[in-house]
Amino acid sequence: MLDAISAEALKFRRHRATWGLVWIWPIGVVLLWLLSIGIDLAKGGSGGRGDADAAAWISNAVDFWSLPRQPIGRYLLGAFVAVVFAGEYGWNTWKLIVPHRARSTLIAAKYVVALALIACGFTLGAIMFNLFGWIEDLATGDPIPAGIAAGALLQAHALAALAALAPILLTTAYVSLAAILTRSTVAALVIGLVITTVEQLFRVYAPMLAFQAPGLVGALYQVLPGYHLGNIGYWLREGHALVVPFPSGPFSMAPAASLAIVAAWILGLTALTFRIFRRQDIN
Amino acid sequence: MGLAMTEPGAPVLALTDLSKTFGRRGGAVKAVRGVSLAVGAGEVYGFLGPNGAGKSTTIRMLIGLIAPTAGRVSLFGRDLAADPSLLRRVGSLVDGGAFYPFLSGRRNLEVLAKTHGDGEERIDALLDQVGLAKDAKRKVKAYSTGMRQRLGVAAALLNDPEIVILDEPVNGLDVAGIQEMRRLIRSLAADHDKTVFLSSHLLSEVQQVCDRVAIIHKGELVRESTVSGLLDQEATSLRVEAVPLDAAEAALRPHWPVERQGAALAVAAARADAPEVARRLIEAGVALFELAPVQRNLEDVFLALTQEDPADA
Repeated sequence: MLDAISAEALKFRRHRATWGLVWIWPIGVVLLWLLSIGIDLAKGGSGGRGDADAAAWISNAVDFWSLPRQPIGRYLLGAFVAVVFAGEYGWNTWKLIVPHRARSTLIAAKYVVALALIACGFTLGAIMFNLFGWIEDLATGDPIPAGIAAGALLQAHALAALAALAPILLTTAYVSLAAILTRSTVAALVIGLVITTVEQLFRVYAPMLAFQAPGLVGALYQVLPGYHLGNIGYWLREGHALVVPFPSGPFSMAPAASLAIVAAWILGLTALTFRIFRRQDIN
Repeated sequence: MGLAMTEPGAPVLALTDLSKTFGRRGGAVKAVRGVSLAVGAGEVYGFLGPNGAGKSTTIRMLIGLIAPTAGRVSLFGRDLAADPSLLRRVGSLVDGGAFYPFLSGRRNLEVLAKTHGDGEERIDALLDQVGLAKDAKRKVKAYSTGMRQRLGVAAALLNDPEIVILDEPVNGLDVAGIQEMRRLIRSLAADHDKTVFLSSHLLSEVQQVCDRVAIIHKGELVRESTVSGLLDQEATSLRVEAVPLDAAEAALRPHWPVERQGAALAVAAARADAPEVARRLIEAGVALFELAPVQRNLEDVFLALTQEDPADA
């Protein structure tokens, strides 16, 4: 297994698209902060975080981890996963490696490497985000609030990273399945875009749609992962469940139930990917 | 790893009633229909067929890329479906060497060696053997078709396999490359005890390097034989030099179609009919100087076996 992981890592460290889609996070942070500092300095005033208290400062510092929950973050994640999983069909290289390893090992190695590279990209992005936030504070003269402990900052990062894990895993699960099913990077990318967009729209507009078909919309809201992703993140940040106003009354679920439903989606989609790939004819 | 790991007496590669149907119900296409063959250790075995005959599908089933609809692939006397790890003793080149275009030739072999878990120490020697040592650091997307093909051969040999499966290995090679490939294939069997299973549309190449051949047509195996046996079996005319020629022609014409070819006769008879032809000539009092089957080349035989019967069209 380690050999297969090493082979995947060698492959994707040297592929421009995957490289770009991983390092876009820290590089993007650097570019955005440079732009932000430039604008602040050009204005000649403080556009920094002002007189934020310690809690607000920490909350701001870990904001980078919200990107995997946002549509743009999930689109980029989906693009990366699409290249990792469907690339082999485009390059016609499954024929090169499938005879040499169990198919389940090859797919497992892809998941390990994809998630490891995503983790590297986001961790480095979060470090850059904090580093440049600190530089901006220095440049704009905003002091770092008193009472910020390294332990508290690290704990906030760990919780935020944990909240980011569910959308990362779910996006990886459905885009990898789409890649194996369609055998096309573009098709997997488009399916990822559509699912993310529909999921986000449904999450926002379901309470309004519930006026038309309360039973169906309510059931879908409970079964589909959109609300549950939000609920897990909200619970980790705020400490209690997310409440959504529905015509029939406020809707909320226990975070543990949301966690179980999201886990079921992730495991189900991943298991299906393994099953389909193990039986797939590679022409 | 050696041939000793094969079950005693078993062919190293055997297909038994192998079939593959793509699609279902009305749209089903039977690509391979009940193909059975066996390849012995150290043989160079040619697998021939026109485009769309089912060669590539059969080869893909052989290396685990496609699951058979029915039948069995056995490697080293054991069922491949029951033990896919048998493929670790097989090297293959399919589709002219498909590689990661963004990696160099050497990196591609490194990826493959890591995937296989073996063979990294052989990379340099293999690159040298296939003449790619000085281009090893160039990205594969800059390689010519022939270079990719040669890298494909290196990839097929990376794990020091006992069976080497080569699908159209001379595609894209120039004349010198074809000669080099021919030498390499022969050397794999003769000097390294490897079994080679190769498909090619260059029949003269197959005729020169293969011990035995199978011909597949419309998904069915239509002939399997040694090359010389196939050429002899399929000889359909005998050349007769006799004096007087008119008397010889008169003696044979009632029994077989006869055609004059200069000072000889071409008798449309099988090799097995030669004794009967000789007997009739001698009975007719003709002096027989030569009676020989007309040796056809593999291309003639191949076309005869795979040409569409107009009645089927």
